[in-house]
Amino acid sequence: MKTPTTMIATGMLAAALMNSTAFAEPVELSYLTHWAPDTVALLEDAAADFAESNPDVSVSVRAVPFGDLLTTIRAGGGTTIAGIYDLWLPELVRDGLVEAAPDAVSSEVNEAWPAGIAAAASVDGTVYGIPNEINVYALNYNKALFEEAGLDGPPATWAELEAAAAAITDAEAGRQGFGLINSWAAGVVHPFSSLLVSNGGSLVVDGKPALDTDAAGETFALYETMVEKGYTVPAMGTADANTTGPFLDNFVSGNTGMIIMANWWESALKAGMGDAFENIATAPIPVGPSGDTARSISYSWLTVVNAGASDAEREAAWAFLDWLNSPESGENGASAMSGILMSMGILPSRASDVTAYEGDLDRDFLAGYVSVLENATAFPVVLGGQEFTEALQQTIEALEYGQVSAEEAQANAQADATAILERAQR
Amino acid sequence: MSMNAVSKQPVATMLAPAVILIGVFIFVPMLLTIWLSFHQWSSQTGFNTAEFVGLRNYEDIFGPLSVGRDFKRAFTNTAIYTALSVVIILPLSVLLGLLVYQRRVRGGTFLRTVLFATYMVPMIAVALVWSKLYSPTEGPINQILAVIGIGEQPWLSSPDTALVSIVILNVWQQVGYFTVLAIAGLTQIPPSLYEAARIDGANAIQEFFGVTLPLLRRTLLFSAVIAVINAVQVFEPVALITQGGPAGATNVLTYHIRRVGIERAQGGIGSAMAVMLMLSLIVVIIALFAFARKGNEE
Repeated sequence: MKTPTTMIATGMLAAALMNSTAFAEPVELSYLTHWAPDTVALLEDAAADFAESNPDVSVSVRAVPFGDLLTTIRAGGGTTIAGIYDLWLPELVRDGLVEAAPDAVSSEVNEAWPAGIAAAASVDGTVYGIPNEINVYALNYNKALFEEAGLDGPPATWAELEAAAAAITDAEAGRQGFGLINSWAAGVVHPFSSLLVSNGGSLVVDGKPALDTDAAGETFALYETMVEKGYTVPAMGTADANTTGPFLDNFVSGNTGMIIMANWWESALKAGMGDAFENIATAPIPVGPSGDTARSISYSWLTVVNAGASDAEREAAWAFLDWLNSPESGENGASAMSGILMSMGILPSRASDVTAYEGDLDRDFLAGYVSVLENATAFPVVLGGQEFTEALQQTIEALEYGQVSAEEAQANAQADATAILERAQR
Repeated sequence: MSMNAVSKQPVATMLAPAVILIGVFIFVPMLLTIWLSFHQWSSQTGFNTAEFVGLRNYEDIFGPLSVGRDFKRAFTNTAIYTALSVVIILPLSVLLGLLVYQRRVRGGTFLRTVLFATYMVPMIAVALVWSKLYSPTEGPINQILAVIGIGEQPWLSSPDTALVSIVILNVWQQVGYFTVLAIAGLTQIPPSLYEAARIDGANAIQEFFGVTLPLLRRTLLFSAVIAVINAVQVFEPVALITQGGPAGATNVLTYHIRRVGIERAQGGIGSAMAVMLMLSLIVVIIALFAFARKGNEE
């Protein structure tokens, strides 16, 4: 429910934007995203709705594979608006590529979004974008495979995870108990981080890497064990530039019993599995030997405006984004953006959107994710974060493929992270 | 004014446009890259923000941490990819060239067209098709191998086979182009030399090693140089299919430099890597020419 203050602020903002959307000449905005064509179509529909009341503003949507998104943003390419992963924000701000939000938008973000999400859209207290989606990691498991293996329910601890993986694994049938993703930085590091925090550890503490702890050592050791015992087959976990590929194929085909993934892949699972999607369930991340409760990692996305765009483009871009993310643009008090996100199984982050979609968030698959949000830790958003993630990815993959031991992986990861974060501060 | 000065003036005037263009578009970027390699610089900011750091970028890319490990891995991958590509493509192009060049073979022109067609297919289409062909469980290649009793191969999913899989894709796409070059070389060999060899009692193998191969040397040198340059510049299949994985097995230098220099905006470190790539390429090309010259002298 909206507070009176929020309603007044929203009203004032809407009034201000109504005045500001009368542009002297037609403005063409380019919106860069990595979404799939059917989602892009929904965004184009929303842009068409906006154009009805703002005939001088047209929005064209340009989609690139996720793997090319950051490079395309950095290359410029005439993009006015871009959807970005929050980890990229500090460096884009440092390099002057994104514009600080106008005061009205900034106030709206701070009032209408949870504090943690608003903070992830800010650098040094200044808001640079409008948050939209939040993703959290949980354990997805195939109930049919669990039943076949005589397992009652999802594992709650690492010991149970190992036991369940052992029961499901059938090397001759090409089936692995526990899937790990490779060749995609977030797909490798986020599940690792989720297991790490569920074991009482952290990636970064007070700006310093914390991969030299016992909790981290146990997490590396878990990976080593899973691979050595054949419960995880790294070759079944490859991802491609579109964040699909064998890891997805193997899970939807029933060749992988369990995998740690974020809520956004619901649409991919549904598309790949059809009716068999009902076999997929969600559970909290199993708790490690040093952990006390199930925890997870979350991250958010936001839309930013190109600082290099013209004054008119930037003004129109903020007006469009504010409308797109406001309760006025969607149905039943939800924003148009949240409708687009929910079509993919992605959780919206604006408080009013969560309220508006309360009923939909109850569906089995998503409810499992919503339930773990409470104990989710935001993935550290720091300068050098992307390089830190890619370096850790390489180390974890080297461990998965037997190129280094768990001890070597831990030592490399800590040394790399220390050097990367120090260099980023120079 | 002397005669020399008069005759040199129009020459200089005529050369000036080309020299200026080459200078602006080739030497200036090269010198700039070398200069940047000694600086810490975000590629998103102006050159005036570059801060001199001496040899630090070079120490980093040859160091033991992730920056160094990733660079050395990418360098090694590029070297292996280049060597394998050249070693497979050149003999195969000569072999196919000999087959297609045979005037007695019917459909030779059709074969040439088919071979060259692979070179004209856009890489995005090649990448899409080959990523599906290589699929471990549902890919046609593994299904065909299963029919003849060969077990499932991981192809792009294993660090042991991923780079070779990309090399196979490259050979498939490039061999037609190099076959056309080989055929062009074969047409330059006078038929009288083969007749003379046959009169002297040479068989087909002796003809090949005694006449064809020596007279193809210039063509092969040109092909080798082009094949090396093409291979060193490999980017698209990695960016479109593997993203450098798994476990960095297909991370090649051009892709890695793009990641470091553009995605991470570490222009100084990216420039140091580019300088090393440029130096290596120069060394390899000079070695190829030296090898060819030595062969000519012998």
